[in-house]
Amino acid sequence: MRAHQSMVFSLAYHFLHDRESAEEVAQEVFLSLHRNLGAIQSPAHAGFWLRKVTVQRAFDEGRRRKRRPQVALEDIVEPAASVERGDPLLGETLRRLVATLADAPRMVMILRYQEDLDPMEIAELLDMPVATVKSHLQRSLALLRGKLERRGLGER
Amino acid sequence: MDWLEQELREALNRKDPAPDFAERVRWNLRVQEHRPAHGLQFWLATAAAFVIVAGAGGMGYRQHQGEVARQQVMQAFRIAGSNLNHIQAQVREVRR
Repeated sequence: MRAHQSMVFSLAYHFLHDRESAEEVAQEVFLSLHRNLGAIQSPAHAGFWLRKVTVQRAFDEGRRRKRRPQVALEDIVEPAASVERGDPLLGETLRRLVATLADAPRMVMILRYQEDLDPMEIAELLDMPVATVKSHLQRSLALLRGKLERRGLGER
Repeated sequence: MDWLEQELREALNRKDPAPDFAERVRWNLRVQEHRPAHGLQFWLATAAAFVIVAGAGGMGYRQHQGEVARQQVMQAFRIAGSNLNHIQAQVREVRR
């Protein structure tokens, strides 16, 4: 379990942007794994199964939280002009910007940059055409780049 | 990979849950294992048992009420019989 817990927790955490909810989702996922151990064929299958179920549970939790206020752009910390690449404040700004994306592109971005999956693997996990995955990636990157540039954090 | 993708990779790196996370999962597993499985069959059986017990209880109560009524009628007959005997004795006294 320890081998996978940071993967499961981080997928939920980056998607929900809330530690408590992410831990609840991760707990549910591991309890579900225990109930379905008979269906797991190999360690690689366990990893795929955990990713897929975590994605589904995170989407479900996200839908449940829809009524609650989400991260608004105006709540995003305005980095000081001296923020450099690799600065933790820039990292937090990026995480918050990712949190403002719609559900599907947000999950695509998390699977791409947290899990380092290629578009084909993401398409298989999310049951979505590869072209849609690539489109989400390109649009999200362009959106984030634009927002960062408006904050003076574009390519320098 | 450009600088933004590199920053995203760093910003969205894996994070660990609370240190007691694994222990809490194990505790929840133990709770689940010791909890009886309350499926549809369990609730149907519970509902059926409730109906039977309630029905038997109702029938028993009605039987008890019938017995009380029967005893009250018998008591009334006994009182009426006793009164009748008393009256008959008085009539016999008057005739002598």
